[in-house]
Amino acid sequence: MSWTTRIRVVYQAFFLALFIALLERLAAGDPRDLPASAFFHADPLAAVAVVLSSATLPGALVWGAALLALTVVFGRVFCGWVCPLGTLQQFASWLLSPRSRRESLAANRYRRWYATKTYVLAALLLAAAAGTVQTGLLDPLATLARGLASGAWPVLPGGRPVPGGWLAAALLLAVVISSRWLPRVFCRALCPLGALLGIFARFSLFRIARRGEACSTCTLCTFACQGADEPLGEHRPSECHVCLNCTTTCPEGALQYRFLPSPPARPAQPDLARRYLIGSALAGLVAAPILRATGGGRQVADPRLLRPPGARAEPDFLARCIKCSLCQQACPTGALQPAIGQAGVEGLWTPVLVPRRGWCEFACTRCGEVCPTGAIERLTAPRKTGYDGGEPVRIGTAFVDRGRCLPWAMKTPCIVCEEMCPTDPKAIWVETLEEPTRDGGTIFLQRPWVEPQRCVGCGICEHRCPVGEEAAIRVFSVGESRDPLNRIVLPVR
Amino acid sequence: MSDEIGRWDRREVVTRLGSAALAAGAVLAGVAFFHDRRRDVPARRKVPDWRAVGVPPRVVAARGGEPAANVRRAVAALGGMERFVRRGERVVVKPNVGWDRLPEQAANTDPEVVAELVRLCLAAGAAQVVVTDISCNDPRRCFARSGIAAAAAAAGAVVVESGRLRLVPADLAGLAEGIEVAEAVLAADRVINVPVVKHHRLSRATLGMKNWFGVLGPGRNRLHQSIHRAIAELAATFKPTLTVVDATRVLLANGPQGGSLGDVRGVGAVAVGTDPVLCDAWGGVQLGLRPAELPFLREAEQRGLGRTDTALVEDLGTA
Repeated sequence: MSWTTRIRVVYQAFFLALFIALLERLAAGDPRDLPASAFFHADPLAAVAVVLSSATLPGALVWGAALLALTVVFGRVFCGWVCPLGTLQQFASWLLSPRSRRESLAANRYRRWYATKTYVLAALLLAAAAGTVQTGLLDPLATLARGLASGAWPVLPGGRPVPGGWLAAALLLAVVISSRWLPRVFCRALCPLGALLGIFARFSLFRIARRGEACSTCTLCTFACQGADEPLGEHRPSECHVCLNCTTTCPEGALQYRFLPSPPARPAQPDLARRYLIGSALAGLVAAPILRATGGGRQVADPRLLRPPGARAEPDFLARCIKCSLCQQACPTGALQPAIGQAGVEGLWTPVLVPRRGWCEFACTRCGEVCPTGAIERLTAPRKTGYDGGEPVRIGTAFVDRGRCLPWAMKTPCIVCEEMCPTDPKAIWVETLEEPTRDGGTIFLQRPWVEPQRCVGCGICEHRCPVGEEAAIRVFSVGESRDPLNRIVLPVR
Repeated sequence: MSDEIGRWDRREVVTRLGSAALAAGAVLAGVAFFHDRRRDVPARRKVPDWRAVGVPPRVVAARGGEPAANVRRAVAALGGMERFVRRGERVVVKPNVGWDRLPEQAANTDPEVVAELVRLCLAAGAAQVVVTDISCNDPRRCFARSGIAAAAAAAGAVVVESGRLRLVPADLAGLAEGIEVAEAVLAADRVINVPVVKHHRLSRATLGMKNWFGVLGPGRNRLHQSIHRAIAELAATFKPTLTVVDATRVLLANGPQGGSLGDVRGVGAVAVGTDPVLCDAWGGVQLGLRPAELPFLREAEQRGLGRTDTALVEDLGTA
């Protein structure tokens, strides 16, 4: 192993370990202000998509520009040296597939269908411009974080089940395992972030250059080429991951990674068919309204579509959420789950609060703190709880099901919901009454009532209701702060 | 082998029948071995009796000083912690860390009371003092914001948030099926119950006997259907070495988690005792409730678990 390779492996291992460690700290509830969403802040794909869909560049996403600048100088070093999903694929390829030299040469040959990623990028960006952000479906960072949050953490000892997580985990697994047959095939053929970086890498200042006179065309350079970018032929900087395997394996020293090498006779064009590019862009444009029509809470509020506290109104929320699952990983109670059907096809894997899984902890604001795009706004505890004197942030309203509630339906004392209610004064209050019993006696009962002006919809009442599978008090989205029309009662003034 | 269809030689018949018999025998043996093998219900751990032998039921209250000083004086009046905790014993201190609230909001036991108990136990020679509770809110937030994690750890305790507790089936005959108990509590040699005095809509007051909810796992919310009987039953099941009722601040309304400082009254008193029912009777008085107004006290007294005449409490007065 050459020293450049060693250094690269150290970088890759470091960033993969950092990515996983940040997720682990999130799950552990580390109270320190760690940069949990740093990788996503530097994700220019998320930045571009959010700008296109919401016409604003939220806060820390400006770091995406730094990554683009890095790419213009050094090429796609992010893909070869940083991206944790790329590292996982490279590792899987090395581990699962001992290839012969002949097989390696075939596996690392450029294929025309590797241009698919650029078509995917065009479709996703046009869909974003048309108002629906779907880059998260294939964003490598989101794919990895989501797959781990939904597929790995739930099965660790002490993990909390994520019933809808299998799909995200399956996608991650498929991406990693597919490297068994073609190394980094996701990077080469599908990754929209790689495609975006590739556009800028075409102009990179540092790049691989071949001294034709020294080359003996031995093909050793292609042997371990990660990006399938043909260092031997007309090198394609837009595909190159700058892994530098070619420069170190070349026995003649004919390949070098250099600053502003003299341009080749005919610079390699991206292998794009214009009609495909236009076609995929149009497909994104057409898909957007179709997807938007599936949105569970977009035009008409959906009763069980409970969004995290601080989530923007549904259209704005969907214009920003990149389905990265960081909020889900940060939620201390396991209440946030990846949506499978609740938010329509459009809202696949966006966070939805499921009270039977967990509740929204009254003074907790972690989901908004880790959201990289501001789909969930950053709240302070006084702001969220209303202790600052304003209206508390509500995510819904609790409703007593009098057909199931013990004091209402079965003349049995209970009021666990009232005990759990965190607001001050409690949104759940009780009326005390003496009721006749079946055997002719009487019983003192306390029956719960919900005062909608006080209820914040946190769902701890539903979570802790002792009535088995379906609680006798349930939270619905009506009353949520983010939608001024999804209301029951006028506010108290 | 047979030379033609339908005619087997003896050797083949023996081989085939033999292997068939072996296979059938293996199946039968498997059936015999596994059939109804796990008929037995999982073993239920007995809840140990943590009371110190030869100690009469007494309750001593101290007021006026710092919370830690009140604890020290009351424990000293009972004969010192050495009377209750022996060298090398593992002690669990079980405060109320139910809620994500600050000490000033009086929803959790005062951290200074907990820390002082930890220090006294360690000074008496305890090998280990564990501070734990099964919280209602996110345990990390409860332990951090109540100040109990920091104070107890600084005093030398091992703080175990409920997320890290192992729950095991236990013999809770009079309560409900399927409720498990924290193993760390069952494994302790001594247990000190440290409730805080609070209002509670259903039971009117949450005190020491109700504080045992905090060692129970999921399903404990069903006990509210018959809360007074359940509280008395808990007192009959869990017999602590000491009960320390924290009335440093009491929560008068919107309990058991409160919120508003307007509902909190500074009483500045602590009662320590070996009569859990009398401890709770004293706690009720701090909320302005006579023992007769708390049905679970009457029920516990009728079952012979303790006394409710608060005149029996030895008040040390202010320091």
